[in-house]
Amino acid sequence: MVDYQPVPSHYQLLTVIGKGCEEAASISLAKHLPSGTVVSIKRINLEMIENDFNIVKTEILMTRQLQQDNLLTYYCTFVHGRYIWCVMPLMEYGSCKDLIHAHFTEGLPELAIAYILRDVLMALDYLHTRGIIHRSVKASHILLSEDGRAYLGGLHYSHDMVFNGQRARKVHHFPVRAAASLNWHSPELLEQNMNGYDTKSDIYSLGITACELANGATPFQDLPPMQMLLEKLSGTVPRLLDANTLPETLDMEQEQGELHNDTALFQRSFTPHFHNFVHLCLQADPFQRPNAAQLLNHPYLKRAKRKSSADNLPTLLQPVKPLSPEAILPRDTCDVEDLAEKMSEVEVEEASWIF
Amino acid sequence: MPLFGKSQKSPQDLAKSLHDNLNILSKGEKKAKVSDEVSKTLVAMKIMLYGTDQQEPQTELVAQLAQEFYNLGLLLLIVQNLQKIDFEGKKDAAQIFNNLLRRQIGVRSPTVEHVFTKSEILIILMKGYKTQEIALNCGQMLRECCRYEPLARFMLNSDEFYDFFEYVKVSTFDVASDAFTTFKDLLTKHKILCAEFLEKNYERIFTAYRALLDSENYVTRRQALKLLGELLLDRHNFTTMTRYISNPENLKLMMNMLRDKSRNIQFEAFHVFKVFVANPNKPQPILDILLKNRTKLVTFLQKFHTDRTEDEQFNDEKAYLIKQINELKEG
Repeated sequence: MVDYQPVPSHYQLLTVIGKGCEEAASISLAKHLPSGTVVSIKRINLEMIENDFNIVKTEILMTRQLQQDNLLTYYCTFVHGRYIWCVMPLMEYGSCKDLIHAHFTEGLPELAIAYILRDVLMALDYLHTRGIIHRSVKASHILLSEDGRAYLGGLHYSHDMVFNGQRARKVHHFPVRAAASLNWHSPELLEQNMNGYDTKSDIYSLGITACELANGATPFQDLPPMQMLLEKLSGTVPRLLDANTLPETLDMEQEQGELHNDTALFQRSFTPHFHNFVHLCLQADPFQRPNAAQLLNHPYLKRAKRKSSADNLPTLLQPVKPLSPEAILPRDTCDVEDLAEKMSEVEVEEASWIF
Repeated sequence: MPLFGKSQKSPQDLAKSLHDNLNILSKGEKKAKVSDEVSKTLVAMKIMLYGTDQQEPQTELVAQLAQEFYNLGLLLLIVQNLQKIDFEGKKDAAQIFNNLLRRQIGVRSPTVEHVFTKSEILIILMKGYKTQEIALNCGQMLRECCRYEPLARFMLNSDEFYDFFEYVKVSTFDVASDAFTTFKDLLTKHKILCAEFLEKNYERIFTAYRALLDSENYVTRRQALKLLGELLLDRHNFTTMTRYISNPENLKLMMNMLRDKSRNIQFEAFHVFKVFVANPNKPQPILDILLKNRTKLVTFLQKFHTDRTEDEQFNDEKAYLIKQINELKEG
């Protein structure tokens, strides 16, 4: 186990691989010089966050108090200039959303999804038993490492129900910066009524994520938010698209020109277990949804428990190859950023105050 | 509870088990079995105090467990040995501590009284920021303690309070920012206590505070400056504010910070600078500095953060400052 110290000079930044947090954060590959390992580093530009940076603080403090094999947490965090650097493990396959976009536009193989969902459920079970609601389970927050393990990230949206020495049973506040995750949110969270919501809300999001991974598209993605909300509240339940469900969908929608050509969707067939799994997650009544521990025992995930080298996740994802550190060329993007930062510094006239 | 599972241990059994096992750990013997047992007991205690999704906590069991904690001095024993408990156990311990602290019988808070008589607990918790592995757990407990005036008073008046000026500067961001949150709570939670404390210890506090404002660490500087603004603008701290804005060194610092390279620092500095200008009884040295820089200040302020068009209050204040500075009369 490498010891990652909060020392800026230990890390050499390489290529930028992602942006986030409304452009205030960037994620770079970096080399940890003392050990030679490659890590990823999230750098948050605090100057771009006005007032106070409680959102950043809360996320980091929460993340530092969590340890579970399927949660994406930080090795260390420190301040460097106006940035906070969060050092974390490298996820060679990127996020599940990236995978779908780049290689699996009609969805991932069913067994691959079982591996991923099992790992995510392990993370959720850990969070839920500690009274934490993740509130942002979706493909873009699930990252895959080289050895095929899924990690749940996106912890900055989560909510701790244990506070001030008490545990709340229900939560009523609506997550801030939720706009990007509305399609995944449960009806009860969106509805914002007196009943509030709890950890079961994550189970609904997991069901939507399962559809996203299997269909290659997120349910409700083409609807305006208000209509999406009405659909969810009126009991519309998204499904996996395959030979069993598609004709029905088509009847309902009458005409969907582009779907006719997607013969692969018509020919494939997901197992009844998988259909049932999704159906259970997407129950309108949160009480009817199983919890994470119960879902881990669902027959659909049984196959993912048998680890055989022939059908592990990396094999299933072929021909996609994980990012290999050798292929990473150092680029001087950081210099460009430093320059940009210098230029953004406000010009203050030379003449100083007279004291 | 599962119908045919193991029967639940009584509060007395749990407390005794924790007491005995922590004593073994405290002797420095590394026994995985003992450490496991401690963690299991802590989980059971946490469930007893917080309940589960399905079950509310039972008042009678909670009362018995609390009583055992006082009798056996378990809170002190826990904080003394926190470092020897495993990762999840540390968090459970902190949650148990925080839950017990809230306990009320009528108007009495028995746990608060207990901690007050064993104030060593608070000292150990404050020193906890020195150790990375327990810093955040100690922080959670300290902030809960800080909600109670007698405990906050004790902490403010201890020598250990001044260590916070160091903790908030450490290189690990999470520890530094957690320490800052606690530091801020201590200085703001109980208005009258805090006002009194700032007045009495003005010299020592603001000398140390100056180092935070001069820090090389951007986060330390920005947080410290923002908190300074909040402290000075709180009407309870009127005496402290008057003293602060009478010192020309402080004015110089703020004027320089107005020209800092960071826009956020400039903006926070503005909110402290405005108090110097708005003061109707400016001492001569303050007046002198403002007069010497009158033209420069007016030009500077006219160009200052002109893109904040939507912040009405800021623009009103800026206009007011420009007017005030223009109308300054030689003493």
